[in-house]
Amino acid sequence: MTTVLAPMGGTAVRLAEVPDPVFSAGMVGPGLAIDPVREPVVAVAPIDGIIMKLHPHAFVIVGDDGRGVLVHLGIDTVQLRGAGFELLTTEGARIRAGQPVVSWNPVSIEASGRSPVCPVVALDGDADYVTGLAHGRIDAGDDLFEWA
Amino acid sequence: MAERKVTVQSEVGLHARPAATFVQTAAKATVNVTVARMSGEPVSAKSILSVLALDVRQGETIVISADGEGADELLDALAAIASAP
Repeated sequence: MTTVLAPMGGTAVRLAEVPDPVFSAGMVGPGLAIDPVREPVVAVAPIDGIIMKLHPHAFVIVGDDGRGVLVHLGIDTVQLRGAGFELLTTEGARIRAGQPVVSWNPVSIEASGRSPVCPVVALDGDADYVTGLAHGRIDAGDDLFEWA
Repeated sequence: MAERKVTVQSEVGLHARPAATFVQTAAKATVNVTVARMSGEPVSAKSILSVLALDVRQGETIVISADGEGADELLDALAAIASAP
């Protein structure tokens, strides 16, 4: 069982409501999204593990059990080529849930005409094994969902 | 074993939408299908985690391999996704 923590504060949003079919259709896996607070944010690790991929706009952490969790910071943010994102750790680093990974500002993402909503995805996961989805307001580090 | 060598054309490489489409297409198939960098270790093309870990960038060439019933059709579909701009 993996408990996936909220990488930032905001409001829990169903993946189906994310304005990108990659996430809303569950193409990369089940999970939950966060509509982040509109202020500068430090995105933190949702699980313990190794930072397998660290892009400015997205990162993947793989736990010791081999499961990967993707955190995507806003929608279509790859187009920003890193502008407005600051990496706070490095690829390959071991990290604990709750430790900082990337700082960014949802306000400037929104001002660029993009959605700042952040999908948190159990990569390759089966939707039947993702439970306990959070509802409503959440703070960084709160339980987001369980991955059995 | 059938295979296709494909140069990835998408600006974002085999990430994001191209990667998701690639893996979703592979996962629908009943046959085993792998993807590898040139002379690299093959990984399951049905795993988004494995495909993201390959970290294929625009302009890089990958080898997609499959074996069994429908392998050629599947590889053609995957090659089309990977080579789409």
